[in-house]
Amino acid sequence: MAARGRGQRTLSFTMETVKGDAPPPSVQQPTPVFPVMEQKPLPLTGGEEAEYLLALKQDFRGAMRNLPCFIQPLVTHRDVERYSDKYNRSEQMDKLLDWAPDWKRFPRELRVHVRKPARDSVSAAVQSPPPPQMKKKGVKDKEEVLLKLESLEKKEEQETSEDEEGETKKKQEEEEAEAEEEYDEEEFEEETDYIMSYFDNGEDFGGDSDDNMDEAIY
Amino acid sequence: MTAQEVRLCGLLLREHFGEVVEKVGTHLLKSGAQNLRTIIHETGLSVDLVKKSLCVLVQHGASTFSSGRKGPGSPTEYHASCDRILRILRYPRYIYTAKTLYGDTGELIIEELLQRGHTMMSSTVKTVADRLTQNMAEGRTMDYSEVSSTFSKLVETHFLQRCPPLPRVGNKDSSAPSETPATPGTPAAPVNTAPPTPESFPECYKVPSVTLIGRGKRQLASEDGEEQRSAKRAKMDPETHGDEGIYWQVNFERFHLHFRDQTIISAVANKLDQTSSEIVRTMLRMSEVTTSPMATCTKPLSANEIFRSLPPSYNILRPILDQYLTLLVDDPMEFVGKAGESGGGMFVVNLHRALANLARATLESVVQERFGSRSARIFRLLLRKRHLEQKQVEDFAMIPAKEAKDMLYTLLSQNLVQLQEIPKTPDYAPSRTFYLYTVNQLPTARMLLQSCYKTVANLVERRLFETKESKRLLEKSQRIEAILASLQASGAEPEQLTEVEEMITAPEKQQLDTLRLHINKLDSAENQVDETIFLLESYINSTNASS
Repeated sequence: MAARGRGQRTLSFTMETVKGDAPPPSVQQPTPVFPVMEQKPLPLTGGEEAEYLLALKQDFRGAMRNLPCFIQPLVTHRDVERYSDKYNRSEQMDKLLDWAPDWKRFPRELRVHVRKPARDSVSAAVQSPPPPQMKKKGVKDKEEVLLKLESLEKKEEQETSEDEEGETKKKQEEEEAEAEEEYDEEEFEEETDYIMSYFDNGEDFGGDSDDNMDEAIY
Repeated sequence: MTAQEVRLCGLLLREHFGEVVEKVGTHLLKSGAQNLRTIIHETGLSVDLVKKSLCVLVQHGASTFSSGRKGPGSPTEYHASCDRILRILRYPRYIYTAKTLYGDTGELIIEELLQRGHTMMSSTVKTVADRLTQNMAEGRTMDYSEVSSTFSKLVETHFLQRCPPLPRVGNKDSSAPSETPATPGTPAAPVNTAPPTPESFPECYKVPSVTLIGRGKRQLASEDGEEQRSAKRAKMDPETHGDEGIYWQVNFERFHLHFRDQTIISAVANKLDQTSSEIVRTMLRMSEVTTSPMATCTKPLSANEIFRSLPPSYNILRPILDQYLTLLVDDPMEFVGKAGESGGGMFVVNLHRALANLARATLESVVQERFGSRSARIFRLLLRKRHLEQKQVEDFAMIPAKEAKDMLYTLLSQNLVQLQEIPKTPDYAPSRTFYLYTVNQLPTARMLLQSCYKTVANLVERRLFETKESKRLLEKSQRIEAILASLQASGAEPEQLTEVEEMITAPEKQQLDTLRLHINKLDSAENQVDETIFLLESYINSTNASS
């Protein structure tokens, strides 16, 4: 509608010279958000068919929400800690694991190895490292391993923290425990006196290049 | 894809697949074909989420992948298809059509396929049998063979088709020409050609010989735990039924042809009478298999053939049939045309012309509803007479000059009418130039189509807004319904039930009712606008095909 002003101006010029009648005044401001309509719209067609279609549509939408292809990111806003969060989160994780498409029909790079976090993980302080699981699956590519290590670490933290709760700790301490745990992990990982952050064991190397295996790594 | 289409696609993806898929999908739509790395970088989402979203999009046919533009070594590229995502609006109509043609079984098969994208025949048959068994009376179960036969019927009538086998897009594999399933005879060029349509494969509509013996299982509430465990075990070792790797998808084009036929038949019924519509229905049914999807008109049918193929309930006499056919041919809507005199007269159904006329009627009706019947008269006049000066418009439409001028200006400002200048002198002096008003049907139809997309997007947004506003109330009512259901299942007393029901106060109930009413209205409005969208899209596609 940006051309409307322009169009009207040229029109008024032409029509004036041709006809001699006054053209309608041009509009100088944007139209109102809900303009008054001279003609009311027709009512919707009702009927059995329309109602059945409506029911089908709403059922379909509802069903799609429960399928594994409905992806909700795991991060949710935590305005107040709720007791039900513990149970809701595990529900979401189950849904992600549920769907196993035929990987032959997808390009290889899309394959996401989602594995169930170890239910029998050891005590809270020591995080059982992913490598034993890696060996079970037999993954050979180093970069894929590193990438999955990162994503798994995050998932395992959540899992192990949930397991902690199951034992005795209260929910309020979970936040602190998570923060503490990250710090504790580094210290406990090698059980040395040296601060882990000073030592770079090359784990981050190659993890940033994600998964594009074609890129040469210098 | 226009901005309105992309916006609508985004909303549809959000409702059906979640916000993550929406983000990835809209990014692909806006920027064309991209490889995985770029998508991850530009959307800012985590790698896993992007991969999963792409899997979901490919699984549902909304996105395709191909090897990169720079040759076999470059990373795979993904394109999203706008048309395919817009089809989601029409899903209820597809399901309903399957129900009218093939009953509840057909309805559930199509619903399963639409929900899951590409699935195998065996898994679909099993799920559908289970669902049908759920709804049947106690003690009765649905046999797999019945569901399989309905499935085969759907495939025979081309409503379902096989997913085309994909070329191996491996970066490390050498692109072996024997693996690319191109039609025989094409050279082994780098895969830069358009993806092969499902129809280019000879086995597109062949039902595999599947060994499926069994009956649907009913899920009993008490055995829920066991069922889940046994279901998990079943997932661990899937039984093979002889159709591994053969995936099926819904053939939307076939459904569209069916809708087009239905629209023509109902238009004839509205304009003329029931018998004429039956005649046209017979003609279309006879030419179902012989007419190609892009054909301008059906193959000529002789009046004798039509007479023989009329349904037995319509025993009209032969001369009456001839009269009806003559009436149909003379009708200005040009649904039926005469193609010759042999065999008692050869008749065709003019498909493209019928679509054009139906689109024209839609445009006229839009103008009428928005601007009044006199503006509609001017519009129809301009459609018929092509180019008219302002004076001629006033004369032909029999509307006083001042009002005619106002209406013309309004239509012009809404871009429904265009002004064509024809100069008498090389300098476009206004006093020596003809100014002719004109209406171009095709561009106007395109404009209206975009406005329909915008309408549906607005309806969806409003619905989401209303739901969000009353989120707390909806959650509360859902909780109470769940409590009620569990109480009823465990057999509670009526006092407890009423007590729980009273947890929702009366004004809240009223609020819920109005909310429900609004949401239903918005949803049915979406369905109705989609009918207009279908008509306009078919018309525009038909002009693309013939030009």
